Amino acid sequence: MAAGGIFARSPTFKSLIWRIVFMHIVAVAVVAIFLPLVLFWLLNSEVDQLHREGMRAQAEVLAERIVAAPDGLLTFNLPDSLRGLYSEAYGRYLYDIRDAEGRLLFSSRRKTGAAAAQAPPLPESISGAGVTRIIDGKVLRIRVAEDLSHRDVIIDDIISNFFRRVGWITIPILLILLAADIIIFRRALAPLWKASQEASNIGPARTDIRLPTQQIPREILPLVTAVNQALDRLEDGFRVQRQFTADAAHQLRTPLAILRTRIETLGDGAAREVLHADIEGMSRIVAQLLEIAELDTLVLDPGETADLRAVCAEVVAAIAPFAIAQHKDIALKGTDAPVLIHGNSEMLQRAIVNLAENAIKFTAKDTSVDIEVNDDGSVRVRDCGPGIAEAERDLIFQRFWRADRQRSDGAGLGLSIVRGVADDHAATVAVENLPGGGAEFTLRFRLAEKALSSPSPGGQGDRI
Amino acid sequence: MRLLIVEDNAELSRLVAAGLAAAGYESDIVGSAAEAREAVSSVNYAAMILDLGLPDGDGLSVLRELRRQMEPLPVLVLTARGGLQDRVTGLRSGADDYLAKPFAMEELVARLEAILRRPGQLLGRSLRLANLVYDTESRQIFVDDQPRIISARETSVLEILLRRQGRVVPKKNVEDHIFGLEGEVASNAVEVYVSRLRKQLTEHGAKVVIHTIRGVGYLMAEEK
Repeated sequence: MAAGGIFARSPTFKSLIWRIVFMHIVAVAVVAIFLPLVLFWLLNSEVDQLHREGMRAQAEVLAERIVAAPDGLLTFNLPDSLRGLYSEAYGRYLYDIRDAEGRLLFSSRRKTGAAAAQAPPLPESISGAGVTRIIDGKVLRIRVAEDLSHRDVIIDDIISNFFRRVGWITIPILLILLAADIIIFRRALAPLWKASQEASNIGPARTDIRLPTQQIPREILPLVTAVNQALDRLEDGFRVQRQFTADAAHQLRTPLAILRTRIETLGDGAAREVLHADIEGMSRIVAQLLEIAELDTLVLDPGETADLRAVCAEVVAAIAPFAIAQHKDIALKGTDAPVLIHGNSEMLQRAIVNLAENAIKFTAKDTSVDIEVNDDGSVRVRDCGPGIAEAERDLIFQRFWRADRQRSDGAGLGLSIVRGVADDHAATVAVENLPGGGAEFTLRFRLAEKALSSPSPGGQGDRI
Repeated sequence: MRLLIVEDNAELSRLVAAGLAAAGYESDIVGSAAEAREAVSSVNYAAMILDLGLPDGDGLSVLRELRRQMEPLPVLVLTARGGLQDRVTGLRSGADDYLAKPFAMEELVARLEAILRRPGQLLGRSLRLANLVYDTESRQIFVDDQPRIISARETSVLEILLRRQGRVVPKKNVEDHIFGLEGEVASNAVEVYVSRLRKQLTEHGAKVVIHTIRGVGYLMAEEK
């Protein structure tokens, strides 16, 4: 749990891969340190064991050489072949043979008896083994020792170099493991990367996308499945909400139609005019709610193109009667050639209708609203109204936002529809005040490929 | 001339019938698709006002059936569905016009008369706006019931503007209407004829006005 605590506190390991790699490094490092130590210890004890067995064998060989004379005196004849080994000059091997009382009987050192007892103690590095034999009824202890400081150079080398050599090997192993870890985990996580890319497309307009479950590791599958189920529930929620908006708007239309027709039967009068205007306002809100509900579900066909100029011409034609009724004017300006852009003409029309209606509402009497289409894919809608305060320029595009100047007509949905259509078309909306007064809204769309575009602006003479 | 109203909301159909009666049209009311089929097969109606949301089915299916049977009955679709695809689907299914609820009675009558006035339809020969009347067959013009003379090309302009009074007529349509396939037309020809027509109408005392919608076309309306 201590390790877990470290990772929990460490902010540097947000990545699963690096977290696992880090834990692996720690594990390999621990092994890299302890494995040579354990091996070193094992090797050492094995060498010691061999040494002790060798000494015991020597002791047994020496024991054979102890002979009891008939008079009970023990003699020890070191064979010539071994004499050199035990010579003091060589100084590597020692032996001594003692009786049960510990009296020294024979020794590789010359001195025996009391003199031997006073001999300087054996160096620390001396180690050996012994055997006990009963010869002629006497218990004898034969010990053979070796001065380890003189031990075989090869064995010493192996042992002393072992740690260094094996220790170094662990470093490339560690690096290879690291690389292997990264590759393995990247591969293992690849389906998750794919799933997260899919997930990034999910939004209110695209609730139909689900995370792919093929190739997802079994351990992570429950998470992906649970997320997909959560998305199902969310989609249901969205659908219910959208359906409700659409249904509510639909359901309101018939009563509104009844109300309106009934008012028309009232005969002329000021009250009728006012009621009429109220009905107009309500009908507009209902229509806009429907537009919004549709906009939220719209998925644009990426290959769809529309002629921006034709759309604007239709809008101007549709709005003109209302403008004229209010003693205002509306005009289409800019290029006369078709302007092909990526988009859905019906949705574009809604955006531009809302901009045009907004402009007609605020432009002063006997002034004109200009809709200008340019061949760079932009539409500018200009009015001669009070303009829009700097602080309000972002707010006006929010749903249900209304400036004081918007009085009681409208619900503040029109410009949010404009923004919605623009977002769906990856277009930009900008608004600024004109130097001579009035506001100018600019929508910029992506032009469709030039190949599809119309011939050069030749029909300039077609102006009215 | 009798009209058929297919609308399941009794209150609305009663009001629509009353409105049509005020405009001089008698109508029968049915409230379901089945009744609509029966009514159409037994009576020769001048036009049908069809609501799409019916209790026993989609109004569009009634419409499609009629068109499959090559029934030319003009149909004005009236619906609470004003949606993106609905209008297109409605018109493709054979509706002559489409009006979303809520609508102005005035507009319903105007649209109805427009489809009745189409070639081969029943409604009379004359187009009227304020004190101006145009007889489509004799191509005669009356102001305050007095015949007036207007030159031929200007009369063509007047006809197309009167047919779509209160709505914008694209300049291209005016041009086509005057010149047909006559080849090269001076770029300002339409402007010239419209301005002459304006002058002549004013001289004759017609209480109508032709608005220029710059960049788009013209709109003829009552003078206010």
